[in-house]
Amino acid sequence: MRVQPLLHLENISKRYGSVRVLDGIDITVADNEFLTILGPSGSGKTTILRIIGGFEGIDGGRLMFEGRDLASVPINRRPFNTVFQDYALFHHMNVAENVGYGLKVRGRPKAEIAAKVADVLETVGLGALGARYPAQLSGGQRQRVALARAIICEPRLILLDEPLSALDVELRAQMQRFLKSLQRRLGIAFVFITHDQEEAIALSDRIIVVHRGRIEQEGAPEQLYRRPRTPFTAAFLGENNLIPGTLTSAEGAVCQVETAAGRLQATVDGPVPSPGSPVLLAVRPEHITLTANPAPGALLAEVAEIRFLGANILIELRHPALPDTLLKVRRLADGGTTGLRIGQSLAIGWAAADAALLAAS
Amino acid sequence: MKQKAPLIDALLGLIAMAGLIALYAPLVAVAALSFFQILRVRGVMGFAPFSLEPYVALIANGEILAALATSLIVAVVASLASLVLALMFAFYFVSARRGFGLMMQVMVFLPFLLPPIITGLSLLIAFREIEFSRGLATIIVGHIVFIVPVVYRTVLVRLQLLGGSLTEASLDLGASQAQTLIHVILPQMRPALISGVLLAFAISFDETLITLFVAGSETTLPIRLWAMMRVGFVPEINALATLILVFTAVITVAIGLLQRSPAGHAS
Repeated sequence: MRVQPLLHLENISKRYGSVRVLDGIDITVADNEFLTILGPSGSGKTTILRIIGGFEGIDGGRLMFEGRDLASVPINRRPFNTVFQDYALFHHMNVAENVGYGLKVRGRPKAEIAAKVADVLETVGLGALGARYPAQLSGGQRQRVALARAIICEPRLILLDEPLSALDVELRAQMQRFLKSLQRRLGIAFVFITHDQEEAIALSDRIIVVHRGRIEQEGAPEQLYRRPRTPFTAAFLGENNLIPGTLTSAEGAVCQVETAAGRLQATVDGPVPSPGSPVLLAVRPEHITLTANPAPGALLAEVAEIRFLGANILIELRHPALPDTLLKVRRLADGGTTGLRIGQSLAIGWAAADAALLAAS
Repeated sequence: MKQKAPLIDALLGLIAMAGLIALYAPLVAVAALSFFQILRVRGVMGFAPFSLEPYVALIANGEILAALATSLIVAVVASLASLVLALMFAFYFVSARRGFGLMMQVMVFLPFLLPPIITGLSLLIAFREIEFSRGLATIIVGHIVFIVPVVYRTVLVRLQLLGGSLTEASLDLGASQAQTLIHVILPQMRPALISGVLLAFAISFDETLITLFVAGSETTLPIRLWAMMRVGFVPEINALATLILVFTAVITVAIGLLQRSPAGHAS
């Protein structure tokens, strides 16, 4: 990472009345980066976006853009543009007027505006629709108008507030591909807000997981998926089996965990908790192996449910010592698990590298 | 899913019809009488043939024309001034803190809910106390006090419908507050602005009670009409009433049409 990031949120805090909505938020955004802020509703992710955009003030911390404090810079002087969740298109203007608005209010000559509008509309694939009004467009087209309007002033950074949430599944997948390729072509930083973890994983260079106004964890999508550090991240990004236990010993990153089901192995990312501390062991459903003929001392569980999900089969197992936990195991549907039946006893296991060790909160 | 009850339906229809007749028959009578004057020949009532004579007399009546001019000036100035005031109040209300906003809501509305006779009287006393002589200006002030609430209401509803994100989008794209107002907010509110002004115009044009208190030597059309009635009935009154009726009806229809398409475009 560069010495000076494009944008730096330093220890930002924000309160609404007595409710603390953001607490010690520290985020850097690099040039050209596709950064996603991921969190459930009410996590504070939209507030972070609104603070960057200048729509909300802050109660503590600093917002720095290329080393310059943005505190006294009003919305209309910030070098960012926003794609709003409801698009916020101007309904009395046609598409070309909407897209050209940012240049018009800057007093650019008409010919220049017309040329740039045509150019940007071409970029977002709306070349022929300049004369239409927003009411005459489909949801996906409105989305593209909002994008075109945001990129025409060549901002250094675009803020996107759950822009795909109003679209249906198919259109959403199409817009995801489009957004990603647009970001690569333009080479400007995108700060993208979503509550959809699949969307975050598919689009982002880096994800910041936000929960209750704090940053839970940040990293590349694969890193977050493979090595969640907190129970929240482990549960929010994809499916995870969480087994509580106590750390007994560690050899390098590989830890021994004493659980109700016996002694299990897990790999820790980062500092190793002290022995004796309560931990959680997280294993992805696709990483659990099932064996019909158990070796002595193997972990035995009983098949409680088998669900056919098209490409996958989801098998839920119950271990007698873990009555509250259904262990989920995922298999490709053609993986030869069709011989399973409910009530069958199977040995379950996983590679130590596939089990993440989390500090229990 | 409605059950058929022909008797009740018929009864309701009849009541509605009777109500409408009671409301509109006098109006129709006035309009008819402006074209067909009643004649009394040796104690026998009869109608004169169709004539535009009352209208001609009306146009020739300098006092009525002067009153009409006063009414128009008052209505135009008062409704435009009310629009500006109402817009400022509405902008303040959507951005103000709750307490202040609520207080203002009450203060703007009170003159409309107060009996006009109280409003008129208070204004009269106030003007006398500050030794402001009554005339066109005092009539206009009186009308503004009375019609601002109506315009305010129309404008506020539309402004609240717009929501904040259009303003934010405009600022985000680099526009100043003034540019946002001119290019985004006002155009989006245009139907509400027009119907608000029309409504204000219609109310001001017909306003009588407050005007009675605050008018000086210049009188408005309703006051003139009132004065004419006191002196004695002349056929011009029917003609004048008919004209006001038609004029008000046109404005009402215009407001109705505007409110049917609140956004201009579907949004």
